[in-house]
Amino acid sequence: MMRLRLVTALLASAAAFVAVSAHADNLVTKDRVGPADAPKSFTLRLTNDGPTSTDPVWAEGYQKLFSEFIQRHPGWRIDLERMSDNIGQEQARMLEQAKSGNGPDCAAVDSFVLALFKGANVLKPLDEYFTKEEVADLFPFIREGITGPDGKIYAWWWNTDLRVLYRNKEIVPDAPKDWAELKAAALASKEKGGEGVLFNGGRWEGTTFDWLANFWAQGGKLVDDKGKPIFAEGENREKFLKAVNYFKDLVDSGAAPKRVATIVNYDEFNAAAAAGTAALFIGGNWQYGQLKNTLEPEEFPKWTFSEIPGPTADQRSTGTGGWTFGAFSNDPEKVAMCAAVVKEIYAGPGNALQQQLPTAAALYGKYDVFKTEANETFAKALVNGQARPGVPIYPEISNQIQIMMGDVLSGTKTPEAALDAANTAVQAAFARL
Amino acid sequence: MPTTTAAAMGAAQRRVAGPSLARRLEANPFTWLVPVAVMLGVFYLYPILDVFRLGMTNASLVGSDERYTIVTLQAMFENPALLDILKTTAVFTIASVVGQQVFGLAIALLVVRGERRKLKGMVALRTVVLVAWVIPGIANGLIWQMLFSEAPFGAINSVLRMMHVSPVAWLSDPNIAMLSAVISNVWRGTAFSMIVFYAALKAIDPTLYEAASVDGAGHLQKLRFITLPQLRAAILVNSILVTIQTLNTFDAIISLTGGGPGRATEVLSLFTFNTVFRNYDLAGGSVLSVLMLVISLVLALFYASFMPRREVSE
Repeated sequence: MMRLRLVTALLASAAAFVAVSAHADNLVTKDRVGPADAPKSFTLRLTNDGPTSTDPVWAEGYQKLFSEFIQRHPGWRIDLERMSDNIGQEQARMLEQAKSGNGPDCAAVDSFVLALFKGANVLKPLDEYFTKEEVADLFPFIREGITGPDGKIYAWWWNTDLRVLYRNKEIVPDAPKDWAELKAAALASKEKGGEGVLFNGGRWEGTTFDWLANFWAQGGKLVDDKGKPIFAEGENREKFLKAVNYFKDLVDSGAAPKRVATIVNYDEFNAAAAAGTAALFIGGNWQYGQLKNTLEPEEFPKWTFSEIPGPTADQRSTGTGGWTFGAFSNDPEKVAMCAAVVKEIYAGPGNALQQQLPTAAALYGKYDVFKTEANETFAKALVNGQARPGVPIYPEISNQIQIMMGDVLSGTKTPEAALDAANTAVQAAFARL
Repeated sequence: MPTTTAAAMGAAQRRVAGPSLARRLEANPFTWLVPVAVMLGVFYLYPILDVFRLGMTNASLVGSDERYTIVTLQAMFENPALLDILKTTAVFTIASVVGQQVFGLAIALLVVRGERRKLKGMVALRTVVLVAWVIPGIANGLIWQMLFSEAPFGAINSVLRMMHVSPVAWLSDPNIAMLSAVISNVWRGTAFSMIVFYAALKAIDPTLYEAASVDGAGHLQKLRFITLPQLRAAILVNSILVTIQTLNTFDAIISLTGGGPGRATEVLSLFTFNTVFRNYDLAGGSVLSVLMLVISLVLALFYASFMPRREVSE
């Protein structure tokens, strides 16, 4: 009898365990978080940063975070939508959907296009879900980016990134401090069999963003306070041309290979580092972790990073980007859930999971992963961080800078002619806005 | 009134009134075309008309006050880049159409000749060529980007270095970048031309070649005086299809060169895509789409004018 009771208890425990496990597993599926028959639901459109991430570690981590989240919010179901990697097209589509009232309830919005979403008046204010202290703790450029003209916050910017100069210490022992030192170091690395310095130079946003650090370091401005393009006027023109000529000189002198005009992906730098052909490249902070995973264990310690050199040692700048979350729903309950997703999953736990830089100073002390020497250095470099101007004309400015860079680096146009052509196109587009 | 007279009058009335409405609708061919017409209208005609309408507005993915204006039309046609883009499009299209036709015909002739001689592996050859056709445009661009990579570990340049030949600036030189884009497009599109020509070659009456052989014609003479004239309709139909397909190609280019360096490989379809999805200019993109439609129609009509007419006796 005793044995029967024991067996029954064991079977019941096993059944309960299986049921609970199955329940937990079922809580996060490919397109849903929470029970399928939950009375309330909202749609959440994500990038690769979520339970369906292609990175197995991120996917597993987010599945756990989302599972815990939905258990804290009974009665809710999250319908997941996944963006493709063509972020520009996805964001443009989402803007059109939101304008026509068919957008998701909550979605990841690229900080680069956040101004367009704010300008289209499709985002709902999130002020009541974040304390004044939480907002005040954000880095200034982050706070400015999410704040609308009425002083309300229209999104929550949860991670940021920046560009740095990576180098192989065995080949380039000292960090180049200015443009001249970088050119000299690149030429010296070529003598040791390398390609010189690599950077984005093809037709994509990374080319503009990475190069702008050289323009911003001189105090150059792309647009005035009213959003009018002024990069080709007065002092800005001189600074712009100086920065373009710097890249042209790197290619003409052989300090950078001509192929930079074809580089449209940060992964190319990882590949070159792994192949041992590159000793210097301008890349994103997230590549430090990628290099660790890509390179052989004995090769990774040879790599380090420093701030992007400016025209002089004391003129520094770096482009900062990142991702935000915005709410499009007219239902206050869904807007509240959107804010809860950001607060409970992404701002903090998500940063730690993906080792992506938080946007609030307090979070750097809260998680051990951000106490490493590398992440502390990245955090310090954010002081010189500069976000792209949040104006509707920026995409066209960026497009024209990409075209200009290709024309100049391939020798099709002089920097002056390329700048004039870019300015003509940008001003024509601005007149039609 | 006698019964026979009443019956005759009833029959006469039925003749005047004719068959029932259902019968008449059933007999009318337009009734059967209505579902197709509605489907075409909703899914093809309406979007085209909407593109025409948007082209006459200032519609943008960013702005909100949409109004009718010709400013967009004017701005697009006054864009100094448009002429260069049209030239680039012309070069890319002509080179691709000629390349796809020549290689498609050559492979089709090879396959047909091989089959006549009962050589083994002809089906495998056809399949291998077709593999390129089923590869999506984006993947095609990525494959060729790896092959053309100018990095020290780039595939083609590595082979050239092994052969002590200087590496080629496949993608960074504006002129060579266009050649690279054409090569990748021809590689992908040749299979389609091969299928069309293969079918047309199989339909040629073999007695024509037998008669030519009796008359002592050589291989080149048979190609010139029998094969090519017999393939005229296939060549023209293929030209129309390949031209329209090439004019609309942007996925392979966007992943291969992104349109660069500069604007060296930015064709009209890619320019249209960039206008809408990068500059958020819906109206501008609509004007360019209409321009693409007009170019495609004009070229199609031009090719069609060379199509062989049916004889009256037929």
